Amino acid sequence: MNPQFKKGVLTLCVMVMASKKDRYGYELANSISEKFAISEGTVYPVLRRLTKDDYFTTYLKESQEGPPRKYYRLTESGKGEMLELINEWRTFSDGVERIIKEGLTDVEK
Amino acid sequence: MLRSEFMNELERLLKDLPEAEQQEILFDYKEHFEIGKQDGKSEEEVSDSLGSPRSIANELKADFHINQAKENQSVNTISKAVIATLSLGFFNLIFVLGPFIGLVGVMLGLYTATLALVASPIFILIKIIVSSDPGILEALFVMMTTGGLGVLLSIGMIYVTKAFYFVIVKYLQFNLKIIRGDNS
Repeated sequence: MNPQFKKGVLTLCVMVMASKKDRYGYELANSISEKFAISEGTVYPVLRRLTKDDYFTTYLKESQEGPPRKYYRLTESGKGEMLELINEWRTFSDGVERIIKEGLTDVEK
Repeated sequence: MLRSEFMNELERLLKDLPEAEQQEILFDYKEHFEIGKQDGKSEEEVSDSLGSPRSIANELKADFHINQAKENQSVNTISKAVIATLSLGFFNLIFVLGPFIGLVGVMLGLYTATLALVASPIFILIKIIVSSDPGILEALFVMMTTGGLGVLLSIGMIYVTKAFYFVIVKYLQFNLKIIRGDNS
């Protein structure tokens, strides 16, 4: 997969994941890389950008196992942006899906 | 790569960012290594999954400089934003540098024209003094017209320059968006 395209998808993924509950960076990077191949290090620039744009706020929380972790919380404007991104993604993926289906039926004939 | 190697490399590459910014970034990656260790991963495994410090640093630097250019619109910040964007890959050489050079060319042309108009009364004055041409009145009119135009154009150019910065910043942001394919 094209790395630039992946970064766009990454933005969508971290927002959706943080919309359910606050998440820390490692958790986001790790669970996304379990689903599809990414360089986990690219998640942090995305998180910084989204925080600068006020889509995320951050806070430190103690963990039982070690030093405190930085958590990311989706803001109200972040939620709005996320819904917009989801819409864009659906339009995009539906379109691609339709093209693939049409292409394949031609091959099968 | 070991944790210390990864962190040193990243720190070295982020040298030109402000100290506070560097610390924040390094903190995030330090935390990542810590949690990876608790997760039972070796330092090599964690740094392999993180990817290369260089591409991480290039992206962070481009983000930083674009933000700087947005907040403080000077030639310095804008050029840094252009350079940082360029370092993200060859692709940008054509897409960023091409239109950027084109725009700079247009601006230089406009500045030169303005300067020439503003300076024109001086040259006409010299011509009047040097030559014994009888058309002094005519020359004076030309002088006032071109000089006046020069002053008007100078005022206009202040606005054009502001617009130019705005367009460049927007263009760079648009470029980053295309390259990354994101909407933030």
